[in-house]
Amino acid sequence: MTRTLRRVPGYLFLTVAAILSVFPLYFMVVSATNTSQDVLDSRLLPGSHLIENFNTLVGSQDVGSAMSHSAVNAIATTALALVVCSIAGYGFEVFHSRGKDTMMSILLLAMMIPFAATMIPLFQLFAELDMVNSTFAVILPAISTPFLILLFRQASRSFPHEIIEAARIDGLGELSIFGRIYLPTMRSTYAAAAVITFMTAWNNFLWPKVILVNNDYQTMPMLISNIRAGYVTDYGMLMLAVLLASLPAVVVFLLLQRSFANGITGAIK
Amino acid sequence: MKKLTKLASLALALPLTIALAACSGSSTPSAQPGGSASGGTTGSGKLTAWAWDPAFNIFALNEAAKVYQQDHPDFEIEVVETPWDDLQTKLTTLAQSGQTDELPDIFLMQNNAFQKNVINYPDLFTDYSASPVDFSQFPQGVVDYSVVDGVNYGLPFDNGTAITALRTDVLEKAGYTVDDFTDITWSDFLAKGKDVLAKTGQPLLSGQAGSSDLIMMMLQSAGASLFDAEGKPTITNNEALMKSIDVYAQLVKAGVLTEVNSWDEYIGTLVNSSVAGTINGVWILGSIQTAEDQSGKWQITNLPKLDGLSGATNYSANGGSSWAISSNANAELAADFLNSTFAGSTDFYDTILPSSGAIANWSPAGKSPVYSEPQEFFGGQAVFAQVLEYAPNVPSNNTGAYYYEGRDAVSAAITKILNGTDPATALDEAQKTVEFAMQ
Repeated sequence: MTRTLRRVPGYLFLTVAAILSVFPLYFMVVSATNTSQDVLDSRLLPGSHLIENFNTLVGSQDVGSAMSHSAVNAIATTALALVVCSIAGYGFEVFHSRGKDTMMSILLLAMMIPFAATMIPLFQLFAELDMVNSTFAVILPAISTPFLILLFRQASRSFPHEIIEAARIDGLGELSIFGRIYLPTMRSTYAAAAVITFMTAWNNFLWPKVILVNNDYQTMPMLISNIRAGYVTDYGMLMLAVLLASLPAVVVFLLLQRSFANGITGAIK
Repeated sequence: MKKLTKLASLALALPLTIALAACSGSSTPSAQPGGSASGGTTGSGKLTAWAWDPAFNIFALNEAAKVYQQDHPDFEIEVVETPWDDLQTKLTTLAQSGQTDELPDIFLMQNNAFQKNVINYPDLFTDYSASPVDFSQFPQGVVDYSVVDGVNYGLPFDNGTAITALRTDVLEKAGYTVDDFTDITWSDFLAKGKDVLAKTGQPLLSGQAGSSDLIMMMLQSAGASLFDAEGKPTITNNEALMKSIDVYAQLVKAGVLTEVNSWDEYIGTLVNSSVAGTINGVWILGSIQTAEDQSGKWQITNLPKLDGLSGATNYSANGGSSWAISSNANAELAADFLNSTFAGSTDFYDTILPSSGAIANWSPAGKSPVYSEPQEFFGGQAVFAQVLEYAPNVPSNNTGAYYYEGRDAVSAAITKILNGTDPATALDEAQKTVEFAMQ
């Protein structure tokens, strides 16, 4: 009995924390079904204007194309980033040398440079390559990130080197060792990396906004920014757009949730 | 094991395929804005434009294109919806990386940011000196936003004339009418505001905490600014600024102005009736009118003026925007298009006014009967004609290259003053901040 009682404050705290973190999501969902004025009045009950908001949204913005551009960007970035960064992380750990360690430190330092500082030279580079206004220009800079390389490198530390030695003795090539042994064992690290990359790519705003000079390849965050820009904002429609934009990230996270937790804790080991 | 190899190769092949598919997007050469317009004759060809509000300035552009197409059937316009903040980011990036060939033919620019951009990035603009536009048909105060060294860089579009919008039903409860708030001074406004608050419990105004919009409007109403003619900051020893800040502090202390945390909350106070009025650029009427249940309960009037200050008026402005022609434009076509529509067609302004509320700065447009039509939402008041009466009286505003820095520094100073810092000390700090930014 006393044990249960002792737990009460803890649960109470957790309950409050849970409500606080879920509330913004709840408000987003509910507001998507309300009129602009209801949202400003902070109405907390679901309304009946979902279809109306949807029609206004689809009528004023090309949601389908923005969703598909966001999806292509996010999926391609995630797939390419996983391949490039896992090979790099594996390489840094397994084919370890002094020079590579220095290289890794330089990479880590690069993590500290804010994007705003590299944006203009990067734009110049892409403009000279005639790649402004292309999906490729959005994806390319996000493929190799120091953070992902670090994640894979740290995770590779827990990968037993004896297996690699054994595989080499058995006559397996380096690429096959990576593909057949490393890749399947590190599944949870891949899942964690996938979730992180997908979310960053899906929410990426500044770079796409700058490099996509015309709106042919507009993404969801850019579309939301457009809705906010007018003198009059339809908040119901805005909330619906935000809801639509957050769904894919939620789905990806929920699908990979368990592996995500394992991958992150595994990486810290 | 075979299965694994397959999986691994798939994992490698799939992203490559996607990447290749994605690349194909870039192989189509990007549409060349301007420059390569077909034929050499003025009036045919395509213009690209950047603007930000589909219900307002983008709508106006498309309507203008329709008007222009009547005489120039080959004309086309492509509008790229770009929010103002993003537009500024793009301009900065293009200017700093020297890639001006990615610019559209025309773009819309906030009046307050105009001089800053022309001074910092002259390479982005084509000036209007070779164009046929008659700038004397626009209010001087509005034209001045986009004049640098005597040269015109912008054609004024939407009207930013400031208004006081008031809830007549609330005023009535306190025994007032809108006339009691017309041509008054701020001390008058404060006294009446306290009375309304006492009788109805509703403050007259609301504003975003830490925003200096209202102070800037007060300052401009007296023809004053944060900078002198040479662009040097004049935040210290600025009588108009001291008076404006004093009025603002009194409004907040008396509860006549209630401060909220964000723009969305500010709009909220208007549409959910927690305040009885607002002072802002005339474009705020668009947001006010979203509260359909308040139809017939609003009216507008001019601003209170600062007490005991020479040059003080009841007129000011906030916001508004002008069209710029880029350095990468088919300049002749762009200028002719703008001149025949935004600076030459009453029909055009008549079309855009009722559906978008875009009030012209071009004075001949105001003579049209469309402007004098009574507006049901405003209790039958002809608000558009009213605004056009105020517009020519608005004093010019010297924005300069560091307007936003000045404004931010003053905003920070206001927060400090409201928390008890001595105004002279806080403004002295603001002056130093701006001077530092200008080094």
